[in-house]
Amino acid sequence: MNDHGARVSGFDPATFVVIRNSLYAAAEEMKIVLAKTAYSPILKVAGDYSCGIFDAKGRMVAQGPDLPIHLGSMPDAVRAVVTAHDDIVDGDVFIHNDPYFGGSHLPDVNVVTPAFHGDELIGFACVRAHWPDVGGATPGSYGAVTEIYGEGLRLPPVRLHSAGVPNRDIDAVIFANVRTPEERRGDLGAQVAANRRAVQRLRALVDRYGLETIRNAMAEVMDYSERMMRTLLARLPDGESRFEDFCDGDGIIEEGDDEDRPFTIRLRVSKRGDSITADFTGTDPQVSGPMNAPLSVTASGVYCALKTIIDPGGLAPPNSGCWRAITVTAPEGCVLNTTFPSPVVYANHEISHRVCDMTFGAVAAFWPDNVMACSQGTSAIITFGGADPRTGRRYVSYETIKGGLGARPGKDGINAVASGISNTMNTPIEILEMSFPVRVEEYALTPDSGGAGTWRGGLAAQRIWRVLDHRSRASSCLERTRSAPFGLHGGHAGQAARIWAEDAEGQVRRAPGKGGFDVPAGGRIHLHVPGSGGYGPPERRDRAALRDDLLDGYVTPQRARSDYGVADPEALMRDEPGAAD
Amino acid sequence: MQQTTEDTISSTGSPGGVRIGVDVGGTFTDVAVIDETGGAITVTKVSSTPDDFGRGVIEALGQALERSSVPPDAVTLLAHATTVVTNAILQEKGARIGLVTTRGFRDLLELRRSARADLYDLFQDGPSILAPRRWRMEITERIGADGTVITPLAEDEIDGLVEDLRASRVEAVAVTLLFSFLNDDHERRLGARLRAALPDVPVFLSSEVLPEIREFERTSTTAVCAYVAPILNRYLARLKTAVREMGLPVPYIMGSGGGVFEIEESLAMPALSAESGPAAGVIAAALAGTQIGRPDLVSFDMGGTTAKASLIRNGTVETTPEYEVGGSASGKRWLYGAGHPIRVPVIDLAEISAGGGSIAWVDPAGALRVGPQSAGAEPGPVCYGRGGTEPTVTDANLLLGRLDADSLLGGELPIDYERARAAMEDRVAGPLGLTMDDAAAAVIRVVNNAMAEALRIVSVERGHDARDFTLFCFGGAGPLHAAALAEELDIAEVIAPPAPGAFSALGLVASDIRRDYGRTFFSVVDDTDPAALEAVYRQMEDEARLMLARTGIAPSAWEFARTADLRYIRQAYELTVDAPGAIDTGGLASLARGFHERHAQTYGHANSGERVQIVTLRLAATARLPVLDLTRPRGDVGTGRSLKSQRQAWFADTGRVATPVHDRARIAPGTLVAGPAIIESLDSTIVIPPSWQATPDDGGFVTMTRSATGDPR
Repeated sequence: MNDHGARVSGFDPATFVVIRNSLYAAAEEMKIVLAKTAYSPILKVAGDYSCGIFDAKGRMVAQGPDLPIHLGSMPDAVRAVVTAHDDIVDGDVFIHNDPYFGGSHLPDVNVVTPAFHGDELIGFACVRAHWPDVGGATPGSYGAVTEIYGEGLRLPPVRLHSAGVPNRDIDAVIFANVRTPEERRGDLGAQVAANRRAVQRLRALVDRYGLETIRNAMAEVMDYSERMMRTLLARLPDGESRFEDFCDGDGIIEEGDDEDRPFTIRLRVSKRGDSITADFTGTDPQVSGPMNAPLSVTASGVYCALKTIIDPGGLAPPNSGCWRAITVTAPEGCVLNTTFPSPVVYANHEISHRVCDMTFGAVAAFWPDNVMACSQGTSAIITFGGADPRTGRRYVSYETIKGGLGARPGKDGINAVASGISNTMNTPIEILEMSFPVRVEEYALTPDSGGAGTWRGGLAAQRIWRVLDHRSRASSCLERTRSAPFGLHGGHAGQAARIWAEDAEGQVRRAPGKGGFDVPAGGRIHLHVPGSGGYGPPERRDRAALRDDLLDGYVTPQRARSDYGVADPEALMRDEPGAAD
Repeated sequence: MQQTTEDTISSTGSPGGVRIGVDVGGTFTDVAVIDETGGAITVTKVSSTPDDFGRGVIEALGQALERSSVPPDAVTLLAHATTVVTNAILQEKGARIGLVTTRGFRDLLELRRSARADLYDLFQDGPSILAPRRWRMEITERIGADGTVITPLAEDEIDGLVEDLRASRVEAVAVTLLFSFLNDDHERRLGARLRAALPDVPVFLSSEVLPEIREFERTSTTAVCAYVAPILNRYLARLKTAVREMGLPVPYIMGSGGGVFEIEESLAMPALSAESGPAAGVIAAALAGTQIGRPDLVSFDMGGTTAKASLIRNGTVETTPEYEVGGSASGKRWLYGAGHPIRVPVIDLAEISAGGGSIAWVDPAGALRVGPQSAGAEPGPVCYGRGGTEPTVTDANLLLGRLDADSLLGGELPIDYERARAAMEDRVAGPLGLTMDDAAAAVIRVVNNAMAEALRIVSVERGHDARDFTLFCFGGAGPLHAAALAEELDIAEVIAPPAPGAFSALGLVASDIRRDYGRTFFSVVDDTDPAALEAVYRQMEDEARLMLARTGIAPSAWEFARTADLRYIRQAYELTVDAPGAIDTGGLASLARGFHERHAQTYGHANSGERVQIVTLRLAATARLPVLDLTRPRGDVGTGRSLKSQRQAWFADTGRVATPVHDRARIAPGTLVAGPAIIESLDSTIVIPPSWQATPDDGGFVTMTRSATGDPR
């Protein structure tokens, strides 16, 4: 098992494990404090945030059981503070969100708190939380704009508290620039409280073990994760392959075009020994709309896929050390390594979803048993904003709808569950409707949306919203309306996404896959998110499993015929001998 | 293997009513027989019979009656903690159920909350689905977010629905319509028609089971009820007949929230009994703690595969309104795993997969791990010699001299020391380059740290200073580890009850009759009409009185405790606050005040300017039974000369040191046993480290404190 004779160095084995577990427990505890005290549904019930414990240099030592989307970019959040300030004192609290300086996209607001023991800096706590709104032209800050200036309030690392004293000036600037400031204030309070809890735990650890021991343990925890990843990686065969996929577009219709223009991403993965490289050379240049990713966002997607492939048992605790065995490169100025002041808001999830799925697709050539077919591949975001006619108050609602998890060798995908870099929850319909002036008229699985295969892809969900008694400003952010989620090794693609609107009279209207649009009172939005890809040729699907699919309506008789080659699906449902062929 | 142990705790019996508690666990079925007036307690342990748990229960009851020489007609209360509900879900052996929802929402149960249980597990399974899609049906209707009817109930669709349910041959039906917690008219009308048309099929309505907001959690709770109801029904019917044949009274069922209730209540709401066994142990700890003058406890229950921690404050057990049944046991603080959420009051337990059977191993990057794999009861630890090859926590305790190297369980279980040593050498000491002692000690430290985390979850994380509490340890392995855990949390006092291995069963006989009720009452405190709120409490009390009247217990022993779940208007999670007395305007203000205080205590900050929202009103209705004395002086107290041997045990501060071993039954009350020392009894071993001392009292409780070398705090 321990094939490299690897050892934990500098510690007796128990002390190391005990401190490591305590650091991760602290990150987990932050998560609880945040969820239970935050105000906006996206944080309190959907869980769109990440918590981490960092060392004094800003390296991430422990990430909570949070969103993989932040794996690559969280360390930059604390490094940005360390870089910008050399006069950090106990009681300071920093806030920032600039994707060009340690952030991921503007709605992800980082709160960073140093932990001191006496005069000595132990490390930092950081909560990155998605605010449903950070200003900009569209409620939800999800507009299709062409510069980051249009995406909302941009905060470089500044002090929210100085030596324990709240900084009223910066507070005033922030809350003058966001919609529904009361709610944001509650969220910010929850972030500060979560960090405070982590700081208390770090101090208690130093009280108990001494500063030197804790510092050394932090370093060793990262070395340990690196060692684990390299050991596991070395056990897998070497290989090299390429994979190409395209995105629907960036939400901006260029002059002379009728519709959004697709762009292409190219990936070459090569694995040798105990390291692996993902190289995106050949990818299209950055685009006008907010589909541009900082390199750290691109890296998050690659890391997420490789963590799942290399360490499916979850042996390596997620931290900065995990990624030392992985190199991610993309030419500067391409859509995966964008330059200021390109807009970025969609790319944070849409591009990291994409490169995550593509990484699975690429390594499938040499690790066919360790991959999954393409998952839903989009966060499928719908925002609503306006004034609630019931109260007159402004509101912003932000939801993400789930497609499926891709099929795997030996297992079907999973229906309508968060996949890849995401793990947010849906907002309960009853809470949504009591909070916002909309009504959900359908929330259901989409038959036939899972890609056919020996192992079927997970089904997508579909949802219908009706806007009640007011005109709402909606926006969407959706991928894979044209590039359907791919299957692997003979499995078919999942169903592509669709979105359309209706006015109160039932007249169907186009709705953009990306960008803002108005919905009149009584109007509806229909969203079908993408299903996920299948694995292996469909004709080899177990007929008993297919029969269950038919009985449960996951697969319709028509598609059982066309995709799976079943001559008489009705007979199969009645379980008649010979009906399966 | 049929294994029986018996431990008589007190023999100062006198005539009077007798109560019997039966606790069915995965490995053992424990029966506690206690004399109401005299306090004589007999505990009988019999192997469980998982193929048909009822068989083991009847067997154990028969043995217990025989051993305690109690005539069946002297038994006034028979209380039962069952694993039938949990097992049906874990093994996916529940009933074939139909689900009826609002049109457009039949997939609610499968769509869940859309988070996956494990972030990076490539081959994870989706959660199990209690009602497959083919048996999920819809009806046209819709209630709006303000409780008004948007679309009337399509009565003309009901006949077709009944046909479909019949054709599906479902054994039970769950009905969840959107916003039925605000307006249950549609659900009630639909339910009445279904019940009339399908008289043999139990129909569960979400507005009856759980009239609370959040459609998935409500649907899940209702579906769990339907899924287990037929099985629970069959099991309890058989049990009822069998105990009647023995001349025993009709059993009461232990609820997950503490307290027992009638079989009819259990069948009306099967989800209430999901965690009844663990609840019993905490109830017993709370009662014992109060009686020995320690009302503030952290209870710690460690067995072969899991460890559970719970907080008892001022003699009161804390409950939590959310729980997931059928998920993997873990110390994860984050809900939404692979199990099925049920929103009923459950005793607030932190449970982790760590126990005597947890396996120690070295991972590929060279770090020591303990668990989550467990050797379980079979094959068990290496030293049991039943085929186990991987070293466990029990093996580590043995190698460190904490457990008897010759035999356990009073000689019934021979020990293979050499095999345990070899396994620890091969799997842990060798790969880590450690001596045997250091390797075994490291295993113990790692598992202690994991268990300390469970203790932290229920204390420090809930805003309590663990140092203000006494650690109360039970379960077969609890007293082995308790002193070390107390050191981790800076707790100064540890108490082990008599017969820790079967202590949970005492909770069954010590429980009052209790049932919890809840109603969503969605209203901002400042805008609330106190009379409307009072009316809802009264309504729940009326329902409770009917239940209590059926018990035959005098109304003078009835108690109603009101609480309310509150939150800041925009939050998603509530905190439960006491709502004593009739509610008037002043009562509302004190409710809000109580919430601000609880929020500050729990999360470190409060927002007194913010509006407070009432979400759920709760009522606990209790019929108090005469209080049992768990601390009666023992008739057979030791007379001294308890030292039975000495062995070289290992401790962190001293390494190997000559350690006296005492026979618990022979230690005279009040004797001060200075650490290092070991106290052995039939079903448990108490380890007293060098800087600790222990004293048994005349009721058989052993109190450990840190020796007077400075303030332990």
